[in-house]
Formats: sequence, structure tokens, C-alpha cells
Amino acid sequence: MTTTANAAPPAPPTILGAIGRGISALFRRAPLSAFWGVIAALIVTMAVAAPLIAPYPPLKSDFRAMQKPPSEAHWFGTDQIGRDTLSRVIYGARSSLTVALGAVLFGTTVGALWGLACGYFGGRFDMASQRVIEFLQSFPDLILAMAIAMALGGGMATVIVAIAVTRIPFGGRVIRSVVLSLKEMQYVEAARGIGASHKRLMFRHILPQCVAPYLILATTHLGVAIVIEASLGFLGVGIPPPTPTWGNMLADSLNSGLVPPWWLVVFPGAAITVTVLAFNLLGDGIRDLLDPRLRGSV
Amino acid sequence: MYSYIARRLAFGALTVVGVSIMVFVVMRILPGDPLVAIFGPEGMTKLTEEQRASYMSELGLSDPLWVQYLRWVKDILRGNFGQSFFRSESVADMILRRGPLTAEIALISVVLSWLVGIPVAIISALKPNTVIDSVVRFVSILFIAVPGFWVGMLIVLALLFWFGYRAPMAGVGFFTDPVGNLQLVIGPAVVLGLGQAAYIARMGRSSLLEVIREDYVRTARAKGLNNRLVIALHALPNALLPVITLSGVLLGLVLAGSIPVERAFGTPGLGYSMFQAVSERDVFVMQNLVFLYSVVFVMLNILVDLAIALLDPRIRLR
Repeated sequence: MTTTANAAPPAPPTILGAIGRGISALFRRAPLSAFWGVIAALIVTMAVAAPLIAPYPPLKSDFRAMQKPPSEAHWFGTDQIGRDTLSRVIYGARSSLTVALGAVLFGTTVGALWGLACGYFGGRFDMASQRVIEFLQSFPDLILAMAIAMALGGGMATVIVAIAVTRIPFGGRVIRSVVLSLKEMQYVEAARGIGASHKRLMFRHILPQCVAPYLILATTHLGVAIVIEASLGFLGVGIPPPTPTWGNMLADSLNSGLVPPWWLVVFPGAAITVTVLAFNLLGDGIRDLLDPRLRGSV
Repeated sequence: MYSYIARRLAFGALTVVGVSIMVFVVMRILPGDPLVAIFGPEGMTKLTEEQRASYMSELGLSDPLWVQYLRWVKDILRGNFGQSFFRSESVADMILRRGPLTAEIALISVVLSWLVGIPVAIISALKPNTVIDSVVRFVSILFIAVPGFWVGMLIVLALLFWFGYRAPMAGVGFFTDPVGNLQLVIGPAVVLGLGQAAYIARMGRSSLLEVIREDYVRTARAKGLNNRLVIALHALPNALLPVITLSGVLLGLVLAGSIPVERAFGTPGLGYSMFQAVSERDVFVMQNLVFLYSVVFVMLNILVDLAIALLDPRIRLR
């Protein structure tokens, strides 16, 4: 008893500690992914701190500087009604990231819980669910998102729902297959043997093992979600103007006469590309870290 | 083999029925009031009670939902895709006029993705972890990240800026005016093709790397076959199977991706109609186009599965 009291107490395993260890492991083992992770973090910071960083309010028109090319006052130029493009790109990060994060979390979580139920209970419920998931996957992602966004009408919440629905099948499929193999593990059998309830088996014994595949799924789908959000905005079924999103800024640029000014096309699109690239590479790194079997395979 | 084909086709038919129900639910039931979807929330408030009622009965929206669903299915089976709310042309005519252009874009882009993706995958897999491999991997990651429609806009802008060139606006068939037609489709096809090529190069590389480690490849080398033949005759055919499956999945990327890409290029294809339908809130056109696209997607994937079965005895003989 006394020996344990004298020994330094081990740091309690907190979630923060786990995240910290994960981040340092990422930097050691996958420096490239870590670098892009830093860029992703910067983009997130930019989105959160948009009001502090943006040089102008995103909706304020300056009628003395309409459709001006990049200059010292307006680094990314101004649009047809004199709004500062740089500020709009910065604020655009807010809508894009909110939608992408919301959609991926919502869609993957619903899919994962559904997959958990399918894999755990099996039988008819599973059969029927697999058919429904197949039907959902028979639509190209963007087309399903377009249809749902159009049906529900514009707005941030509907865009999130529309994109989330397209993410459900992925979560469902992956988590279901993980659960199917976990269900046969001896520790689960042991727990069942001592009389654990379905609820306890599912949420205490099986679900914690699904965290890694869940995180991998969520991070790898962020990029896709951002592209779908931008496409919806570009097609006019995303978050409606005047709220700036990268997609509706690109759509807007086409409305300025026959030839869109280059700065209205280049900057929002570059923002999409860099963001998607950063999240995809970060996702690759996290996948390699959490699932060593997949390392270097893709 | 025949039982496999029969099973796959039966599943396909079931999927099409499921998809039709899902399209109906999304386009007709989800909006709550279809008139809101047509006129928008603001337009809706401007309609009087009588106007609403007359629109509802005129469009057959006051019948029970299952009656509406069956009527829609019957119409589609008869080839009647209805009428646009805003245009005089029937949707069936529109599909026949604009569909070929989009089909052409899809076909060229798939061919292009293989022509670019496979050689790149081979080079990358044969020299893993060299400079060229790293460059290839980064470029493919970049191409996956770049949204196709933005690249399209940049191409249009660059051509206009440096060459004063703009692709013709009018849709022309390949057989009436091949040059004009190619000018229309080449841009979208290249953009969509390179996007797919990036996925194919990634998948092809990893699948080839896996196959190269197999015993039968070592055997082929051991019996003295030269390296080129080992790759071409022993490794590649097996490595390509997952790539073919991926190519089927990527068709969804092409079908859906052609919508914003056609908008970026101003190509008068079916994707552009889809964009118009969505921006004009033309529910009925949208409903039919979404259904059409999904059915095409399902059928193409059945074809891919059958092609795989034909090529892979492990599936064919099961």
C-alpha cells in the first residue's frame, strides 16, 4: 500500500492527453500530413476569427471601388458592387467549414449508429437497411444533395442535411463491417456470458472500438463535403447570397457580364482547393496513424 | 454465369424501384408543399387561396400520394417525361437533344482517364518512393482536391484572355459538325477525365504494388520472362480489376460533376439543363432528371459488374 502511495501518480488518461499524444505522433511519423494539418488549423482559425482578420465587412459595398483588380487597398480586388473579395473569401471559410463539419459529423454519426445497429442485430433489419443504403448509393452524391437542398429550400441547415444524407451510407457500411467482426470477439462473448444487456454490449463494449474508423471516415469525408458544398453554391442551391460562400462567389462572378474578372474566379476557387487539399492530406495522415494496416497502401 | 447475370439484373430492377420511391419522397413529399418548391417561399405568399387550389388540381397534386406516384411511374414507362414549367420543349425532347452531348463528354472523359491514369500508375508503381513517384502522388492528390468546375472556369478565362477564343454556344451533333461538336465537349471531357485519372492513378498504383508481391509474379520472373512482359501479361490484368470497379463508381463523379462543369463551360448538355431546372426550381423536370441520372448510374454499374464477372473467373464461376 505504502509503495503505491509513494510512487508518482500516473497522469490520468484524459481525452486532451490522448489528442496531444496523437498530434505529436502525427508530427513525428507523417510530417507532410502534419504540415497540411497546420494549414487546416490556420484555415479553421481564419474562419473562427473572421471578424478580426477581414479588412472590410463582407457585405459592405464601396461604390467608388466597383469591380477593381487587386490593389493595396483591396488585396484580392472587389466584386461588381464593390465588396472586398479578400474579406468575402475569409468569411466564406466560415460557411464552408460550418457546413462541411456539420454535414460530416451529422451524416457519419447517423450512419455509424445505423451501422452499429445493423451489424449488432443482423437479420431482417440488417437486410432491409442494406437495401436502403444501396438505394442511397445509387445516386451520385452531388445529385442527391442537389435534390434534397432544392426540396428543402435554401439555407445553411438544409445544405447541411442535404450533404449529411449523402455521407450516411459510408458510415453505415464501414461501421457495420467493423461491428460484424467485433461481435465475434471473445471479450464481447464474455460480456454477453455474464449477462450484459444489448445496450451495454453495444455502447460499452463495441462502440469504443469503432472510434478509430469513425475518425478516419469523418476526416477523409471533410474534403468531399467541402467540394459538394461549393458545387451546391455554384449551382445556386447552397447558402443563398448575400452570405458569402466560396461556391456562390464563383457563381456570382459569372453574373458580371460576358467575361468574369479573373480575381473573382481565381481567389475563391484557390481557397476551396487549398482547404480540400489540407483536409485530405490531414485525413490521410490520421488514417495512417490510427490504422497501421493501411499505411502507404493508398 | 447466367444465374449471376440474372441475379444482378434482378437486383438492378429492385434498385431502380427503390430509387424511384426515394426520388418521389425527396422531390414531392420532403418540400411539404410542392408549390413552395415551385414558387419559393416568397412567391407562395403572393398566391391567393383559389390560385393555390387551381394550381394544385391542375398539376394533379391534390390526389393521394400513392396515386401521384403510380401516375408518375406510368408516365415514365410510356416515355412521357412531362413538360418544363418554364419552357415549351417537352422534357423527353430536351433529353434527346441534350443527352448525347453529355454522354459524349462522359465517354471521352472515361477513355481519357484510363489513357492517362493507367500509364501513370504503372510508372509510379514500378519506381515506388522515387522522385517521380512522389510527384505523381502529389499531383494526383492535387487533382482530387481541385473542384472541376473551377478548373473549367479558369480554362474558359485563360482561353479568352490569351487567345480571345470562346467555345461555340450552340449545341451541334458530332455527325453534323464534328469540329464544332468537339470544341463543345473537349473542355468538360478533359476536366472530368483528369479528375478521374487522379483516382485511377492512385488506385492503380496501390493495386499494382500489391499484385507485384504475389507469388505468381515472382514465378513468372523466375522462369526468365522479361520484366515488361511480366507486368503486361501477369501483373496488370489482375491489378486492373479493382480499377475497373473504381471506374464504375467514378461514373457517378462524371454524371454529377458534369452539372457544374457544364455550367462553367456553358456547354448546352443535359447537365446544364439540370442546373437550369435547379435554379428555376422546376420540380417536375428535376424529379425526372434526377431519376434518369440515377437509373443511368445503376445500369452502368451493372455493366461494370458484368464486365468484371466476364474478366474474373473467381466471380464468373461462383
